[in-house]
Amino acid sequence: MSKKMKMGVLGLLLVTPSFLVLLVIVVLPIVLSFKESLKNKSGGYDLSNYEYLFTDKLMRSNIIFTLEVTVISCVLVLIISYALAAFMRFSQGMAVRWIKRLYMIPLFIPSVIATYGLIQLLGNHGWANRLLLAAHMGQLPRIIFDIKGIIIASLWFNIPFTTMLLGSALTAIPNSIVESAKDVGAGRLQIFFRFILPMTYKTLLVAVTFVFMGVIGSFTAPFLLGPNAPQMLGVSMEQVFSVFHEKEQAAALAFFTFLLCSGLGYFYIRSMIAEESVKNALLG
Amino acid sequence: MSIQLSIRQLKKRYKTGDGVSDISLDIRKGELITLLGPSGCGKTTVLRSIGGFLDPDAGDILIEGKSVLGSPPEKRPTSMVFQSYNLWPHMTVYDNLAFGLKIRKMSKPAIKQAISEVLELVRLPGMEKKYPGQLSGGQQQRVAVARSLLLKPAVLLLDEPFSALDAKLRHEMREELREIQADSGLTMVFVTHDQEEALSISDRIVVMNKGNIEQIASPQDIYDHPETLFVAQFIGKMNFVKGVADDRIRIGGLSFPNAQAHSGPVSIAIRPEDVILNDAEGQGIPGILKQIMVLGHYAEVSVELGDHGTIRGFQPREAVKSLQPGQKVTVHFAKVLTYSEG
Ligand SMILES: Nc1ncnc2c1ncn2[C@@H]1O[C@H](COP(=O)(O)OP(=O)(O)OP(=O)(O)O)[C@@H](O)[C@H]1O
Ligand SMILES: [Mg+2]
Repeated sequence: MSKKMKMGVLGLLLVTPSFLVLLVIVVLPIVLSFKESLKNKSGGYDLSNYEYLFTDKLMRSNIIFTLEVTVISCVLVLIISYALAAFMRFSQGMAVRWIKRLYMIPLFIPSVIATYGLIQLLGNHGWANRLLLAAHMGQLPRIIFDIKGIIIASLWFNIPFTTMLLGSALTAIPNSIVESAKDVGAGRLQIFFRFILPMTYKTLLVAVTFVFMGVIGSFTAPFLLGPNAPQMLGVSMEQVFSVFHEKEQAAALAFFTFLLCSGLGYFYIRSMIAEESVKNALLG
Repeated sequence: MSIQLSIRQLKKRYKTGDGVSDISLDIRKGELITLLGPSGCGKTTVLRSIGGFLDPDAGDILIEGKSVLGSPPEKRPTSMVFQSYNLWPHMTVYDNLAFGLKIRKMSKPAIKQAISEVLELVRLPGMEKKYPGQLSGGQQQRVAVARSLLLKPAVLLLDEPFSALDAKLRHEMREELREIQADSGLTMVFVTHDQEEALSISDRIVVMNKGNIEQIASPQDIYDHPETLFVAQFIGKMNFVKGVADDRIRIGGLSFPNAQAHSGPVSIAIRPEDVILNDAEGQGIPGILKQIMVLGHYAEVSVELGDHGTIRGFQPREAVKSLQPGQKVTVHFAKVLTYSEG
């Protein structure tokens, strides 16, 4: 066997396990649920379950609600995380030291516990309201069992990791790049939009993808502190499956969620490839 | 010539206690001045203070007679070339060069013209469309110099701009910088810890140590007349021996004029080229020849002088032909430099 062949075989051996795992726990279930989702009430195959998803009023409002939560969460998480990461990168002092120590803590608290914590804090009879009441400062609006509660929970779950991700991208920008921009006369806004943002754009894209996937598929928080209607798709899926025993409808819902995510995945991969090929074309 | 940049009693202390103090310096228009000193002596601190990236604790910095201390970097008539990562990697060479000109509202054709001229000057014509990642380290630094030149600063600041390059390239870049400076007549402050670099390109050298200036002089004077023991140790090769000063400076049986009126024990510095080797019967300090190393057109000899330790000297190659390691010799000095002890 030539050396090249040996390397080829070795490569194949190394990929095979991960490929098999991917096949068994990702591809196969998707294909099976897709098949399941096409079954109609009379035992034949058609698109009736999907039709139901988009015509039923409640289902439609669930889909819109889920997208709303996801998009708002993504935007807020990215803005807050970017601000935190930039603050930690470009400032010094007490505040920065404390943020550095504290911002990862949410990652170490199990989601169920954190969710109950939020309910205790922000619920109608929660700590926040009791304190406000004692101080005669009115009352919080309805947060728990409302879209606001789910969004606050996704901020809690997603900000630490996103901040870490963006923080490492910002740290990778050498000081001299920013200083030479200042030196030639760039103002603060120009420095941000012409230098810092373009140099962290790729990481930002990774972060959007992570947050989007995380929020759209979230279950614990929406289940525990979301409203009864409309619901996030994850909660709705669970209900359709185990309360209404509509296995096929649940499958259709699952497959639809998967499509939403793969849409973003496609966009993500495409822009990564675009970036690569630009680079290759430049270097080639 | 008129004074372009004037630094007065500059002081900066970091929280760690390091920093610089009592830095005073006048730089003439069109002069290339080098800040030279070991790592951590405060060269970058001085340079960043001039550029506006650092606020000094005390003192003043004047450019063309006006204090610039209140101004941020973008408002100062200075431009800085950093040690590395100067260029913006996501922009082409053209965009890197054009950015500052666009901010200055220059017209597009004028920008184009200026860029092709400056690229000519730094010997990189036609490189506009390349990205920094596609250039060699030396080319990148030249583009960085070009970017600064385009902005027509009153003073160009360079912080070890060639230290990341290999020796050969560094040599070439020095020569090019010197030529650019001659062409443009720009005032430059150049930071380096490489004495050879400083000696070869500077009009004057500022030798720094531990946050203070040790000596300001031309390369020739720095080499021939180092004012302090530190400068004597730092610049070039040097031998050190102990001596005593009364009406004359005495080392072993030798004596030299005591021009600076030292008294008591002194440190004496001797350049290897000032070491004179005689045979055993000659005049001088007796010693034993330890080693002869022929280095091309000259030879380096080392001689053990008993209490005075080992001394190195340069000799013409012809002169060492008849010598053998181990033989007795005497050593004399053409010239000595004397420094008070303590
Ligand atoms: N931001 C800072 N905070 C605290 N100390 C600093 C800071 N910057 C520099 N120093 C210290 O101040 C001293 C002078 O630093 P400076 O960077 O000016 O030295 P330098 O001569 O440029 O050295 P090098 O040749 O290594 O670049 C050093 O001891 C350094 O550790
Ligand atoms: Mg330095």
